[in-house]
Amino acid sequence: MNAAAPIERIAALHARLAPSLGGGPTWARRRGEALGTLLARGLPDRRDENWKYLDHALLAEYPFDAAPRAPADAARLAPLLLPLEGARRIVLADGRFDAALSSNLAASGLEVADLGRLLERDPEAALNLLRAPGTGADDRYALLADAFASGGVLLRIAAGRQLEEPLYLVHLATAAEPAVHQTRVVIEAGANARCTLVEHFVAAGEAAVLGNLAADIALAEGAVVSHVRLHRHSATAAQVETWTARLAAKSRYEQHLLALGGRLLRSNLSLTLDGAGSACRLDGLFLADSDRQVDLLTQVAHAGAATETMQDYRGIAAGRGRGGFNGRITVQPTARGANASQSSRNLLLTPLAEINARPQLEILVDEVQCRHGATTGTLDADQVFYLVSRGLDPAAARALLTYAFCRDVIGRVPVAAVRSAAESLVAASLPGRDLIRGLA
Amino acid sequence: MSESGQLILDVRDLRVKAGDRLILEGISLAVRAGEVHAIMGPNGSGKSTLTGVLAGRPGFEVVSGSAAYLGRDLLGMAPEERAREGLFLAFQYPVEIPGVNNVYLLKAALNAQRKHRGLPELDAFEFLGLVKAKLAAMRMDDALLNRGVNEGFSGGEKKRNEILQMSLLEPTLALLDETDSGLDIDALKVVAEGVNAMRAPGRAMVLVTHYQRLLDHVVPDQVHVLAGGRIVKSGGRELALELERRGYDWLRAGTAAA
Repeated sequence: MNAAAPIERIAALHARLAPSLGGGPTWARRRGEALGTLLARGLPDRRDENWKYLDHALLAEYPFDAAPRAPADAARLAPLLLPLEGARRIVLADGRFDAALSSNLAASGLEVADLGRLLERDPEAALNLLRAPGTGADDRYALLADAFASGGVLLRIAAGRQLEEPLYLVHLATAAEPAVHQTRVVIEAGANARCTLVEHFVAAGEAAVLGNLAADIALAEGAVVSHVRLHRHSATAAQVETWTARLAAKSRYEQHLLALGGRLLRSNLSLTLDGAGSACRLDGLFLADSDRQVDLLTQVAHAGAATETMQDYRGIAAGRGRGGFNGRITVQPTARGANASQSSRNLLLTPLAEINARPQLEILVDEVQCRHGATTGTLDADQVFYLVSRGLDPAAARALLTYAFCRDVIGRVPVAAVRSAAESLVAASLPGRDLIRGLA
Repeated sequence: MSESGQLILDVRDLRVKAGDRLILEGISLAVRAGEVHAIMGPNGSGKSTLTGVLAGRPGFEVVSGSAAYLGRDLLGMAPEERAREGLFLAFQYPVEIPGVNNVYLLKAALNAQRKHRGLPELDAFEFLGLVKAKLAAMRMDDALLNRGVNEGFSGGEKKRNEILQMSLLEPTLALLDETDSGLDIDALKVVAEGVNAMRAPGRAMVLVTHYQRLLDHVVPDQVHVLAGGRIVKSGGRELALELERRGYDWLRAGTAAA
C-alpha cells in the first residue's frame, strides 16, 4: 500500500508524464486546468453525499503514480470475447485504441477515431470534442481522466444510418503489474441513427488494475441507441466511470448494465432528456459477492416535455459484498407531461452483505406521472418453503430464487450472446448452482 | 371406510406453538391408506397450523406429542425429505414465484422424488408428454406451463396448479389446505374431480376446509371438527352436513363447558 494520498501521487505522476502526453500547448493547458481543479478540490470522499458508501481506502491502494506501460498479453484477448456474429469490434487496450486488435471498421456512416491520434494531430478538434468536466464531486474522476487525457475512442454514427450488427467496444486490461488507466469515450448518434453497442470490460491478467473512464454520449433527434454493458473484470480489478448522456427530441436510449465481476465498480451516469419526447430505459443488475463492491449513481434530468424514464435496477449482495444504488430523477419545470418510473430491488443473501438503496425523485412541475420504489431484503421464506415442500433441496431453492430475481433484467438484454454470458456468470456464482440444471 | 388399510398418518396428542401461543392443544388423528378425512373448523381453530407442521413449514414449535408417517417420525424429517417420501401439501395460498418457470418446478419436483427413490430422471420429452396429459385433465391452458410459478394466475388457476402438481407427484399422503376457498362453482368442480381422480387404495388424503361445499363433491370417509386447537368431534360425512346447518358455535360451547 502506498503511503502518499492518491492526490499527491497523481500530482507527482502528472509532473513526470505531462511533457510526453501529446497535443501540444493546447492540451498541456487543458490538462493543467483539470489537474489544478483536482488538486484544489481533491478526489471525492465519504463526506460527499453521493460517495459515502464507496470504499475510498480500497481505491487508494491502486497505483495512481504508476506510469502506463505498453499493453502486454493482448494476444490473450480471443478467448475472452463474446461470440457476437458480425459485430464490429473496437478494442481499447489499457485505455488506448488498438487498431490491430480491432476488426475492420470501415463502413459507410460509421466513424471510429483514435482519440490519442486525434489529440496529437488536431488538438483543437479534440478540444471541441471532449467535454471539459465540471468541478462537482461527481465529476472529479472525469477530471482525473481529463488531466491525463491521451487516449480513447470516438464512435460516430451518421444521420439516418441504421447499423444492423452491434458495435462491440472491448475495454481490455492487459497489465501484468498493478496499473491505473485513463480512458475517454465519445459516442455520437446522428439524427434517426440506430445502433446497438455492446461494451465489455475484461482483464487478460489478474493484476490489480483500476480503469478510469470518462465518457459522453449524445443522441440527435430520433436516434435510438441500445447500450449493453457487461462488467466482467478480474477479482482484483476496479473500474470507476463517469458517463454523461444527452438526448435530443424523440431519441431513445437504453442501457443494460450487468456488473458481474471485478473488485469494485463505481458507475456514475448523468443523463439529460433534453428534447421533447425523448426517452430512456435504464436497467441494471449487479452481483456483489465475496468482498466485492458495486456502487451505482444515476442522475436523470427531465428537461423536455413528455420525456420518459424507466429504471429497473436489481442488486444482489452475498458474503461481505457491498452494493449501492443511488438514483435521482429530477423533473424540471419545462418537462410537462413527463413520465418517470424507478425501481430498485435488492437481495441480501448473507448476514454480512450490505446494500444501500437511495431512490430520489424531485418534481418541479405539475402534470407528470412519477413513481419510485426501493426494497432491500432477503429471499422470501414462503417462496423457499414452497419449493422445498415440492422436494427441492433448500440450497437449490435459494439458488433458483436468486436466479429468478435476475431474469427480468437479463431477459431484456437485446443481444443473445450477452444474455447467455450473463446467465452463466450469475449461475456460476450461486451456491447450490450444481443443483439447478436446465433452467432455461 | 376400510379399517384394514395401512396406517399412513398417525398423529398423537400433538401440541404445537407458534411464537408464544399454543395453537394445537393435543391433536390425535389416524389416517389409513385409501381413506379421505375432512378436517373442518372455524377460522383460527388451528387447521393450517396442523397441515403446516405436518409438511414442515418453519415457524412452529412442537411442544409434545408425535406424528408418524408410514411408521417413521415425520417431525424429525426435513421438509424436502417429507415431500420426496410422498407427502404433498396443497397450499391455501400458493405463492407466486416470478422468474421460476412452472414447468421447471414441476420437472425439478418430480425428478427430486425419482432420484430419491433410485429411479432414473425423466427426460424432457417423457416429462412433457406426462405433464400435458395431466394438464388436460385439470382443464388448464398449456401456456400456464411456461409462465412463472403461479405468476398472474387467477385464484382458481393457482388451486388447479396445486392439484396438477399433486397428480404429477402421486403422493402417498396428500394434505389439502382450504383448496376450495376462493373457487367459483365451476373451478370447484374441476378441483373436486382432480381430487376424486386421485383417490386410490394406497393413498390417504386429508382435506382441510371451512365449508362443507367441497364435501358435496369429494365424499370423505371421516369428518373431524377442529376447534380451539383440539378435535372436538369426529364422525361420518353426515357430520359435515350438520355443521353446515348448525354452524360451529354449538361445538365451541361444548368445549367451553368441558
